[in-house]
Amino acid sequence: MTETRKNSRRPTPFWEKINLSQAFKQAPWRSQIQVVGLFLLGLVIVILVAGIYLTISGQAAEAGLDTYNLTYDRRALERTIADSKAQLALISSSSVMEKRATAMGFEPADPGSVVYVSVPGYTGKQTAILAPPPGVVESQGVVVKSEYRESLWDWLFQGINRLSTSVKGNS
Amino acid sequence: MKIPKNLSRIQILGIFLTLFAGLIVFQMINIQTSAHAKNLNQWAENYGYQVTTIQSERGYIYDRWGHLLAGNEEVYEVGVELQFVTNPASVASALASILGSDYNTVFNLANEPYVEGKSVYIPLSDFVDSNKIDQLDKLKQQYEATNPYGEDKKLPSLRGLVWTAHLQRIYPENDLASNVIGFYSFLDRENGRGFYGVEEKYNDLLAGIKEQVLIPLDPYQLQTIPTAPAGASLILTIDREIQRSTESVLDAAVKSTGSVNGTIIVMNPRNGEILAMASTPRMNLNEYWNYSKIFTAGVPFNKAISQVYEPGSVFKILTMAAAIDTKTVTPDTTFVDTGVINVGGWNIYNWDRGAWGPQTMVGCLQHSLNVCLSWVATQIGSTKFYEYLDRFDIGHRTNIDLAGEEVYPLAEPGDSTWYEVNLATNSFGQGVAITPVQLMMAASALANDGKMVAPHVLKAYIQDGKQYNTNTQIVGTPITAETAHTMTNMLFTSLQQESSDALVDGYAVAGKTGTAEIAVNGEYSSSQTNASFIGWGPVDNPQFMVYVWLEKPASSIWGSVVAAPVFRDEVKQLVVLMNIPPDSVRLSLEGK
Repeated sequence: MTETRKNSRRPTPFWEKINLSQAFKQAPWRSQIQVVGLFLLGLVIVILVAGIYLTISGQAAEAGLDTYNLTYDRRALERTIADSKAQLALISSSSVMEKRATAMGFEPADPGSVVYVSVPGYTGKQTAILAPPPGVVESQGVVVKSEYRESLWDWLFQGINRLSTSVKGNS
Repeated sequence: MKIPKNLSRIQILGIFLTLFAGLIVFQMINIQTSAHAKNLNQWAENYGYQVTTIQSERGYIYDRWGHLLAGNEEVYEVGVELQFVTNPASVASALASILGSDYNTVFNLANEPYVEGKSVYIPLSDFVDSNKIDQLDKLKQQYEATNPYGEDKKLPSLRGLVWTAHLQRIYPENDLASNVIGFYSFLDRENGRGFYGVEEKYNDLLAGIKEQVLIPLDPYQLQTIPTAPAGASLILTIDREIQRSTESVLDAAVKSTGSVNGTIIVMNPRNGEILAMASTPRMNLNEYWNYSKIFTAGVPFNKAISQVYEPGSVFKILTMAAAIDTKTVTPDTTFVDTGVINVGGWNIYNWDRGAWGPQTMVGCLQHSLNVCLSWVATQIGSTKFYEYLDRFDIGHRTNIDLAGEEVYPLAEPGDSTWYEVNLATNSFGQGVAITPVQLMMAASALANDGKMVAPHVLKAYIQDGKQYNTNTQIVGTPITAETAHTMTNMLFTSLQQESSDALVDGYAVAGKTGTAEIAVNGEYSSSQTNASFIGWGPVDNPQFMVYVWLEKPASSIWGSVVAAPVFRDEVKQLVVLMNIPPDSVRLSLEGK
């Protein structure tokens, strides 16, 4: 009862005292400001969206060009690797190696002069294995995280899906 | 413009902003629809895509240990972009001095007027190595420093001179195993392909992909950038060191015996892997354009697979194997050689026209008696004899994985070209034509417990990052294991008793010589022969089989004189390279 008495004594706020229609009639510029404000708000949003779009587009274009450049770089590197292999093969060819061996004082072994030693467990020189056999499955590591590959919508929908799945799971 | 007095500042601001926004929208529409925009759209349609040929890097070829036998090196195409050429004389002078190009030719080309869309770029030289490109680049930079952008046309400038890298086939071992590898016609950048050997046989596998594609220049379409994975690489069964040693032995033999040409094949009789295949002539594969000079008309690229000839007495091992397998004879069966036998109305004589008296079958092989083997063939009977030749795949291709294998059909009873005397002559290798690799395959049954293996040079191939190994192919089992062991022992004994030049100290080998007269103008010449030897070892566990063929040797016509020592020389190096200890050492190490 005491509280009721106190509330009844509380002063009325000014906006409850003012009739809004009356206020707009007395100062029509208020509604104009409202219109202009809303227009400006829309304009700012449009500019913001356009700005974001332009930024992302620019970055995407730059990434695309980078990709092209990297593709060319990769081709150049592949040529360099191929060339390096060829140069290595040239300087280690049988004729070159024979010359080097001869220069170092080596000479071809005679069957009678060779000493053979049995090494337990040694099965002999193995032929070239330059790649894994077809049965081996290499794990494909994720190079680019999903955050960098999915659009805003993908992220949103997948988030909703995850949320709904977890809710269903809990219930 | 007179601003109405009843407009407030806010209203003026609103009008101004509206007009500004409208202006932006108008300009946006204008940009999209103007004549210039149409031109831009047209330009984008025309130049939005680039037609490019994507081509896989040609696959590598390795020997069995991973030594590169065929690879690719970086070279350059040098050309001029006519739009930017300011001093054609400088370009011509630079190319003449550094690349050795003809000055006038280059000058005329570099001086061509630029015509947009038509005459834009002219190639001046191709397959230029990187050292020369470095020299050109250095010179270009020097000129650019003294005459930036080539503005002063009186000063030298290499403006407009450009170079583009690409790959060129290279064979680091030059002529090593050239008969096996073949070559790739890299000078023809549009339609280059493999010729002969594995380069031709596996051309599709090595080449990978080659196609023209549209590459979008729009960076937003980056996901459509095509890629061309490298062609498959091959790992051959060839052993580089054995191949080099074999070629060295062959060249020395051809030279010392005065032979026209020669062939040596080294094969593992257990699995058919060709360890070495040497043949003359050979050529530096990096200069394949000399092909027609080296391989004149009628000279095959690889005689080991492409030259059919009458093998002569080495063929007797197949006849004797058939006789042993059919139990027509045993090693101890005695034949009294009177020096002549009549088959189908024709007299057959021995190589020395002599009568060798009583001979066991080992003696018949040891002395290579035509009369004895003719008798053996008649005892087997034509039906069984040719059935065995069919089992040995005589008259058929081995289907070795090398391009250009030849075959000569075998005349059999019932064929119009077959006569009764053929039974006798075929028994000692006349009237039948084969390639060396065919005889190797047939003889592999004798060294491999009766199982005949398919000779092959591909050990594995690498495609899409995986290595696929090939498997041993047993073509057939023409004889039993017992027959194979008996034949090996007979041929081991005959070499021992003969004190053959083919014997190798410390190693038990089995083998047979061959001397085949060459038919000249329809008659066999006694002065021109094919001298050969086929052998394998160690006899208790064969790990190598060697076939030697010398064509028309001048020092001696006999295989036992010219070919047997070559077998010995080859095996002496082979056992070292293959780490095969002398028999006594090996058996003691194995605890036998």
